[in-house]
Amino acid sequence: MSSGGLQLENISRRLGARSLLHEISLEVPAGECLALLGPSGCGKTTTLRVVAGLDPVSSGRIWLQGRDITRLDPGRRQVGMVFQSYALYPHLSVEGNLELGLEIRRVTAAERHRRISTILELLQLVELRHRRPAQLSGGQRQRVALARALLRQPDIVLLDEPMSNLDAQLRDNLRPELRRLLCGGRHPVLYVTHDQQEAMGIADRIAVMSNGFIQQLGTARDLYDQPVNRFVAEFLGRPAINLLLPQQGHQLGLRPEHIRSVNTGGLEAKLTGREWLGNQQLLNLETKRGQLKMLTSADWTPPTELRVSWDQGRELWFEEQSGERLK
Amino acid sequence: MNLRRPIIVAGLLLWSLLPLIWQLQTSFRTPDALVGGSLTSGWTLENYRTVLQGSPSFWRYMVNSALVGTATTGLTLSLAVPAAYGLRQQAATLKRGLLLLLVAAAVFPYVLLFLALLELARQLGWGNQLLALAIPYSGLSLPLAVLLLQAGIADLPNEIEDAARLEGLNLWQRLHRIVLPLLAPTLSSTAILVFLFSWNEYPIALTWISRSELLTLPTAMARIAGSSIYAVPYGAFAAATVLGSLPLLLLVLLFQRAIVSGLTQGAVKG
Repeated sequence: MSSGGLQLENISRRLGARSLLHEISLEVPAGECLALLGPSGCGKTTTLRVVAGLDPVSSGRIWLQGRDITRLDPGRRQVGMVFQSYALYPHLSVEGNLELGLEIRRVTAAERHRRISTILELLQLVELRHRRPAQLSGGQRQRVALARALLRQPDIVLLDEPMSNLDAQLRDNLRPELRRLLCGGRHPVLYVTHDQQEAMGIADRIAVMSNGFIQQLGTARDLYDQPVNRFVAEFLGRPAINLLLPQQGHQLGLRPEHIRSVNTGGLEAKLTGREWLGNQQLLNLETKRGQLKMLTSADWTPPTELRVSWDQGRELWFEEQSGERLK
Repeated sequence: MNLRRPIIVAGLLLWSLLPLIWQLQTSFRTPDALVGGSLTSGWTLENYRTVLQGSPSFWRYMVNSALVGTATTGLTLSLAVPAAYGLRQQAATLKRGLLLLLVAAAVFPYVLLFLALLELARQLGWGNQLLALAIPYSGLSLPLAVLLLQAGIADLPNEIEDAARLEGLNLWQRLHRIVLPLLAPTLSSTAILVFLFSWNEYPIALTWISRSELLTLPTAMARIAGSSIYAVPYGAFAAATVLGSLPLLLLVLLFQRAIVSGLTQGAVKG
């Protein structure tokens, strides 16, 4: 195995008869941020907990910076993790939260002080260092959790839905901030989210998961333009991809932004509704091949009867039964 | 409308405090004043003098009770905390079974056990050993203590302990640095309840202890009556009761805030 980063080799986790993770294999080199994206229950958080050592694996191997850590105690894995609830120690101040782990590892008082000051500075927490978690806002708690995860100079940073407790605007502002702090360092980053916008904004590559399987792993662009199956195509993109009525066992998928109106030819459509999105509008159309959503400019007033078409190169064909994409 | 609430509160207060006030005033009255004296005369400290100057002094019984209470509380908590903590790690079905068993044990009328316990004490030579009382007391308090503590522990978020595991804290360090500080309210309310049981316990103390300098408060108080069945020393009784409840009152006042938040744990989302 190569030395840097994280490698998962055929990781499976079963609980009784249920299979939570199924032969997960992936590789995250140092400095890269990989997002695990999927609906709840897809296995993304389990993957994270398995890497952290909080949940055991049934089979497979985990390598971190060249070490086999599959059976290693979580405390000895050099893993920094930000939990969904942040999991700060409620009875300790910000400083106390940061210091506890270092104290346990017998870092000298002077070194502890130096490292804590540096990280407080980096995350703009200096003024808050004597506060308890209950006296902090959601965004501040997140920064403390991040500080605690980075403080130990971990070999990998794991984040479990770190933005899910924050309001939408704060999330938008924090995305580039998180990317700056986390990515491009000496460690790989695994980022779990169910929000595709977050995954695209932060991660270099995305692994889409469902039912304990990795459906597809690639850059956001790959996943969006070249999905391997209907699940990935439907999961990425808002408004969601149009799936036309199946023909001879095949189903056509079309992204709303790829449909345009034409004067002649194409497909006859009836306008059944409009959603104004501010900078764009979404038209709901009824056609003989099924319902279509179409994204157009906001200032166009569409007629009630229109014809629509698309470039053949934009067509995504899926096998009706399996959902696999036909190349 | 506005008056209704204060009146109800005052009524409830009167209802619950009146017996205590009655007891308190009884402890300061002469025997004659108790039966039809006026409120202006017949006040005395004689009852307290009688109780405190007995042989051995009433203080001795207080110390005995405090010793047994402290030993019981310490022993109970040191066994109940690991038990409650261990319960959390068990599978759901096993845990439910164990909890049911604990509830059954907690509501078992322990008076049924005291003859058997007496026999045991005789065999082991624990009769007239003051601190030996802490052993049955702890045994009897454990079910309730474990139940209360496990409810408190169940309220702690799992992720906090996961975070501590990742930071390299071992089992003992997690218990000592994370779980116990967060459990402080539940711990203090449990401790008070256990202490209270030990402070009030009568049948076991009565049968295990016969030497007068080793008596605990309830048994010692019962002996005050021993002088004659024709003259019940109400005043002395009352004085002993007042003195005996003072330490508890002090404890509860001291830990008041922690106890209230412990008893309501889990009732509202933190």
